[in-house]
Amino acid sequence: MTLNVGPQHPGSGHMRIIVQIDGDHIVACDPDPGYVHRGEEKMAEYRNYITNIPHLERPVIHDSCNILYPYVLGVEELLGIETPERAKYVRVIASELNRCIYTMYWLAIYGIFLGHSTMFMWPAGDRELLIDLMEKMTGARVTHAHFVPGGVRNDLPPNFEDVCLRQVNYFEKRIKEYADIFYDNPILISRTRDTGVLSRQDAIRLGTTGSVLRASGVDYDVRKKEPYDVYDELDVNTNVMKEGDSYARSRVPWLDMMESCNIIRSALEKMPSSGSVRVKLKPNPKGGHDTVYKRVESGRGSLGCYIVSDGKPEPYRVKMSVGSFRNLIALPYLLKGEKLGNMPAVYWSLNYWPVEADR
Amino acid sequence: MKTATGIIRALNSGIKHLAVKRFTLRYPEEKLEFVGDGYQFDPSTGVGIAGLKGRHMLFHDHCTGCQLCSIACEGVAEAIGMVKVPEEQKQNKKSIMPQIDYGKCVFCGLCVDACPFYALYMTNDYELSSFSKEGLIYTPAQLAVKPYVRQDSSIQITERGATHG
Ligand code: SF4
Ligand code: SF4
Repeated sequence: MTLNVGPQHPGSGHMRIIVQIDGDHIVACDPDPGYVHRGEEKMAEYRNYITNIPHLERPVIHDSCNILYPYVLGVEELLGIETPERAKYVRVIASELNRCIYTMYWLAIYGIFLGHSTMFMWPAGDRELLIDLMEKMTGARVTHAHFVPGGVRNDLPPNFEDVCLRQVNYFEKRIKEYADIFYDNPILISRTRDTGVLSRQDAIRLGTTGSVLRASGVDYDVRKKEPYDVYDELDVNTNVMKEGDSYARSRVPWLDMMESCNIIRSALEKMPSSGSVRVKLKPNPKGGHDTVYKRVESGRGSLGCYIVSDGKPEPYRVKMSVGSFRNLIALPYLLKGEKLGNMPAVYWSLNYWPVEADR
Repeated sequence: MKTATGIIRALNSGIKHLAVKRFTLRYPEEKLEFVGDGYQFDPSTGVGIAGLKGRHMLFHDHCTGCQLCSIACEGVAEAIGMVKVPEEQKQNKKSIMPQIDYGKCVFCGLCVDACPFYALYMTNDYELSSFSKEGLIYTPAQLAVKPYVRQDSSIQITERGATHG
């Protein structure tokens, strides 16, 4: 029998999964993304390097700093801009806060997918601590439009470091409490352990990235392997698990959040206390005839941005290579032979964001 | 046995939270506090000043009608239109000033970054709903009014958990 899951189903996100079932078992599965394609890449060809910023961050509004990061790094290289040291630290703090905000949202939905409504309420509430910080820092709760080529839009508000430290410490204490209720909960473990196992070879062969790759035992993180901005001055420890099942894939992002808290703390410590945060640009800056490719580690894995410039104020081509799409490729392999009831647990553990995959 | 203790620990973790203070912000009885008077931009240094990106504020005595804000918004949301104003300002020969359609604006603040004459800032006003589409179009006269925004609540972290208060 063929079963369509989505695209209207709230659980599937704006995408359809076409599953062939035999009784309770999945015989084949065909993910069908594309329902929220907005043509961001095409739109970018008609706007200049600065006005591209507000709309290029739309695909993942919870992680808008990270999705802009490779674009901004690429434009900086194209235009030959040297970013001030303080701005680099501010960017690292903003992107780590954003990674946690995204992961909390993802975790909330993972909780409700598994019927654990407490795990929906807690992350959705604790996320507010970080959203409040982002609001103080950038002036917007989501879609911050904060990163620009040459730094960030505005300096930190007065007294931000103390508030940030206090709220991040409390946040870390809160997420550690999730162990008892969720991650060490036998009910969750029995639902997710040994479902949708992705072996180390398959994870590499299918080109998965981010937490999916790390949950299958591959120690790969762009922040560590190709450090950008000031990540080489900060200690980044990656969390790797060997199992490759849904449980490992759901646990790795949670461990990553604690690592993000450490990075934020050490960035706050090492950040120069004063200095400029933004280089003044000419209006309508033009790039030369050049191409750049930059990538960063987003909440969903490696996120690359390829920019071609032909000497005009608008880019000739902007292409994003996003983690969500690369992880989705693994779904048919993981669901084959699984029970239908395990589908939500496997599907959402892929750390997949439909809008980002469609762009 | 391990399963039983695991479930008891999970339940216990939930029960402990009965004694924790409520974190929910009771909007609209309580409203959040912001760091400044809204996002502003200093064209001389090229750096913004942190604040909420809310409804704009237009200073009629500074605006020259140069349209740079409207040009900046063209690539973003096309929310700004230049309209004739009745009053005469000596720096504004054409007597045109921006009018902002909040049905389109995405609150990115790029128009504030574009204004070279300290004429356009953003404020803390975020309650902009209206019953009609026309009600969302703010004329230069409406944009000149400084909003009153009640701010009485911020995140407090205590021994017994975080609250809004
Ligand atoms: S904030 Fe952005 S969208 Fe709104 S009027 Fe200004 S430039 Fe346009
Ligand atoms: S608000 Fe500023 S940018 Fe817009 S027309 Fe007036 S002076 Fe020019």
